[in-house]
Amino acid sequence: MLNIGLKSSKAKIVGEVGEAKAGPTGHVYFTLKDEKDQSMMNCIIWKSRYQLYGVKLQEGMKIMASGYPEIYPPSGRLSFIAETIELAGEGELKKQYDELKKKLEKEGVFAEERKRPIPRYPQKIGVITSKQGAVIADFLNNIGKFGFKIKMIDSRVEGQEAVRDLLASIKTFRKRDIDVLVIIRGGGSLESLMPFNNELLVREVSGFPVPVIAGIGHDKDEPLVALAADASESTPTAVANLLNESWEQALLLLERYERDIIGRYETIFDNYKEIENELRISLGNFKNALLNAKIRIRDSLDESLSGFRTLLSKVNQKVIQAEKSIFLNNPDRQLRLGYSIARCNGKIVRRTGDTKIGEDIDVSVLDGVITSEVKNIKKQ
Amino acid sequence: MAKDKQDSKNLNSNLKKLSEITEWFDNQEEIDVEEGLKKVKEAVSLIKESKGRLKEIENEFEEIKKEIEPEEE
Repeated sequence: MLNIGLKSSKAKIVGEVGEAKAGPTGHVYFTLKDEKDQSMMNCIIWKSRYQLYGVKLQEGMKIMASGYPEIYPPSGRLSFIAETIELAGEGELKKQYDELKKKLEKEGVFAEERKRPIPRYPQKIGVITSKQGAVIADFLNNIGKFGFKIKMIDSRVEGQEAVRDLLASIKTFRKRDIDVLVIIRGGGSLESLMPFNNELLVREVSGFPVPVIAGIGHDKDEPLVALAADASESTPTAVANLLNESWEQALLLLERYERDIIGRYETIFDNYKEIENELRISLGNFKNALLNAKIRIRDSLDESLSGFRTLLSKVNQKVIQAEKSIFLNNPDRQLRLGYSIARCNGKIVRRTGDTKIGEDIDVSVLDGVITSEVKNIKKQ
Repeated sequence: MAKDKQDSKNLNSNLKKLSEITEWFDNQEEIDVEEGLKKVKEAVSLIKESKGRLKEIENEFEEIKKEIEPEEE
């Protein structure tokens, strides 16, 4: 009953570690000494917790333990049950940070060659951060509208208690179907960022099945989780931009392809227009050629028609000429005019010598023949 | 076609004969009336024949022209 009451008396104790030893079960028993009055307090940290925080308790080490008091019933002895332990004081923290960094570096945990590329066009994003604060808002405000499916696990991100939350969140995400894991929080001092220098957490991140992006703000020393992550950005906004990057590039590419395609289409249309123009010109030329041929035909037709006409009139003229000539030479016409033709013994009498006195002469006139005797011949 | 050729030959030979007859008259110093009359008779028939043929040809020509003309603008 007393212990139940005591459990609610949570406290944080800062002090120097006196004797520290691990029991057979793995739990660690140590003392904390107050700097000012040298007063002592017996403390216990259970094995599971001790392994969590990566602080190897040594005599003279200055730490901060948070927990609650408890009485051990068989002996009535009062102990402080430490739920978390962490190094206290910048110097100690820095020393622990440097040591762990060196160790992990040696193992190649931070090696560039083992970093995985952030997948292009990620869709399923796992986010570990605190629901409180501006960090998540900054991230969500800056993540683009590219159809992201964001799953978020709320986790404490400050103080040693955060280590447990962070580890649990990572474990949960291991079983979820995500393309990339994002761990974000705002900036802080080395002390406040200590959970992100936790060895177990660093190993979880480096062994995570999909690439991890860290967005953990810091002043000087980059948190080890950020070093182990596949990509690290200083702000949640920068993480959001990194996730947007491939999508934005795709968008730009699409725009460029669109422009290219339109450009090519325009070229095709231009070519068509050119061909169309050429065709129009060719058709025009053909039309002209047809017209010329038509004119030539018409001209030659006109020429042959008029030639034929001339020929006809020439022939006509010849016929008329012949008609006139025949008319003029017609002997009948002479008779009609009063001339007569005299024949003696069947021969035409042209001279006085063609007949003799006493001979008969046949005189042809228009309507018949008159026979007369020659009575006299007078020569002129 | 053969008939046309024959016709055109006829017309040509008619014209030739007519010109021979007129030439005969032109060159005759002492006209032989009997022969002259024969020539006149021949010439008259040739002229009649030629005129008829010319008329025919002219008509045919007009027909052909009519066939061509509607095609022109």
